[in-house]
Amino acid sequence: MRQSWNRTHLSREVRVAWAIATKDMRTYYLRPPSLMFGVLFPFALFLSFSIGRNTPISTQMPVLIAQTLFFASSSIGPVVIPSERALQTFDRFLTAPVSLLAVLMGKTLAGFIFGVGISVIPIVFGVAVFGTEVTSITTLMLCMFLSALGFSAMGIMFASMPGQTPGTVMMPLNFVRIPLLFVSGVYTPIKDLPAWGQVAAMVSPLTHTIELARYGLGGENFFGPFVNVVVLSAYTVVFLFVGIRFHIMNQRKE
Amino acid sequence: MTEMPAVEVLNLTKSYGGLLAVDHISFDVKRGEIFGFLGPNGAGKTTTIRMITGISIPTQGSAKVMGYDIQHQPIEAKEQMGIVPDISNVYNELSAWDNLVFTGRLYDMPKGYRESRAGELLKMFRLYERRSDKVEGFSRGMKRRICIAMALMNRSSILFLDEPTSGLDVESVLMIRELVREMNREGLTIFLTTHNIEEANQMCDRVAIINRGRIAAIDTPEKLKRTLESLQSVEIAFEEGRPNLMDDLKRFPTVNEVIKEGDKFRLLTDDPPTVLASAWKYAEVNGLRLITMNTVGPSLEDVFVNLTGIRPAAEGEGGQEKMSETRETGKGREH
Repeated sequence: MRQSWNRTHLSREVRVAWAIATKDMRTYYLRPPSLMFGVLFPFALFLSFSIGRNTPISTQMPVLIAQTLFFASSSIGPVVIPSERALQTFDRFLTAPVSLLAVLMGKTLAGFIFGVGISVIPIVFGVAVFGTEVTSITTLMLCMFLSALGFSAMGIMFASMPGQTPGTVMMPLNFVRIPLLFVSGVYTPIKDLPAWGQVAAMVSPLTHTIELARYGLGGENFFGPFVNVVVLSAYTVVFLFVGIRFHIMNQRKE
Repeated sequence: MTEMPAVEVLNLTKSYGGLLAVDHISFDVKRGEIFGFLGPNGAGKTTTIRMITGISIPTQGSAKVMGYDIQHQPIEAKEQMGIVPDISNVYNELSAWDNLVFTGRLYDMPKGYRESRAGELLKMFRLYERRSDKVEGFSRGMKRRICIAMALMNRSSILFLDEPTSGLDVESVLMIRELVREMNREGLTIFLTTHNIEEANQMCDRVAIINRGRIAAIDTPEKLKRTLESLQSVEIAFEEGRPNLMDDLKRFPTVNEVIKEGDKFRLLTDDPPTVLASAWKYAEVNGLRLITMNTVGPSLEDVFVNLTGIRPAAEGEGGQEKMSETRETGKGREH
């Protein structure tokens, strides 16, 4: 009965990852937790820290871009994976003839597109309304691409931790996300941080997003765009690798 | 040369901390057969199926599907199988059509082929008219049918069915059983996990009985029944009941056990003629009218009870059964 479709392994992995991403986009983008943690949360945080501060919009725009990338991209995985595990629809991916990496890449892609889509809003708004000047479109695009990918993979990693349920997954994630805001040069320039703060900033992936965003909009960059790109790329690989390990741990426990 | 089995399980083991859920089991499933995996709740049926299909990683041992090791050749092994889990894990937010088409995309089926296959299956399962409706509005039986259709999308060589008819209405149960038989006639190997003994008896070429993580027996239903030839019974029903009837029946000579089954009584005995004679005499003396009196050979349920010590309890529609650990041995028990 069996029929073979003779497609190459790699191209199949890419197509299946895209199929998973498009299904997640249709199914989960408009879920209340996605909108609350991915859209409302970064804008509310930005407004609560920015209103009343006497800083020019050109200084604040990179913060808004970085925050929307950070929260929007990392929120889809935690909405999707625990729900699918609870309903056992995630088992469909585990029994499909495709690697775990392709499955998680599909999930990451859904968060990536969500993050990029949401972060375009402040950029367009800033350029159109406040005359924000984009001095390096390449850097800004790199910032969006790498950050959305990395933070989406981060969300997937947290969502894949053993024992997570739809009701509990946001707690450990926010336990990490919110402190990162304070060590990443979002509200205090990195050059003004103490030495230990600069080390902490170096380690935080969010630092490198805000650095690239600042550089793309003509602002200062402390570590340099090359370091930013390398660190964000490395984090993406690490998050995906750890996410896969978590899934294997889950499979051993189930 | 012998044909390679559809499934080869060797020394498969799963432990959760100190609990051994599946204990070094080994068995083969032949190509083209309906293989029943029968056991009470918690016996290790679902854990076994999850290890064979790659959802769960075994603690020890191996499983091959159509010759491919699920741990070392997972892509090849998974290409060969369709899976219907114990719960209908459909995407409620998607339509029936989209559920099937998405499954086709997971198997990387070309667009034209997956769409024609989805249409064919929806017609086969009598859901084509509802193809655009979201699955969340479907009944449990309809969701089950969608779930089975999804498992058939890739035209697999073997279909794993985990409790496919559990909790469904009679119409859905009969439809699913007939479709499974039909697909098997077309050459599909079926691995059927069930706690419904009658379903296993009616459908399976061979049955493995698993209890507490171990295979207790494995053979054809008829051969399994023959292992209990000594366990015979007499089935009787009276037109009207009377007080203490059950106690009176328990006192018949050579009766080992009495089981009430609806309006009938089943008297387990080594000597049916003696029980038949006692029943006639009892009816005559008490002015009762016997409306049924049959001698009955051992059933698959008897084999199951004998091996597991667990008697199924009637559940209602669809001939479903639940297991309850209430069995006692010896004379004079009531169920």
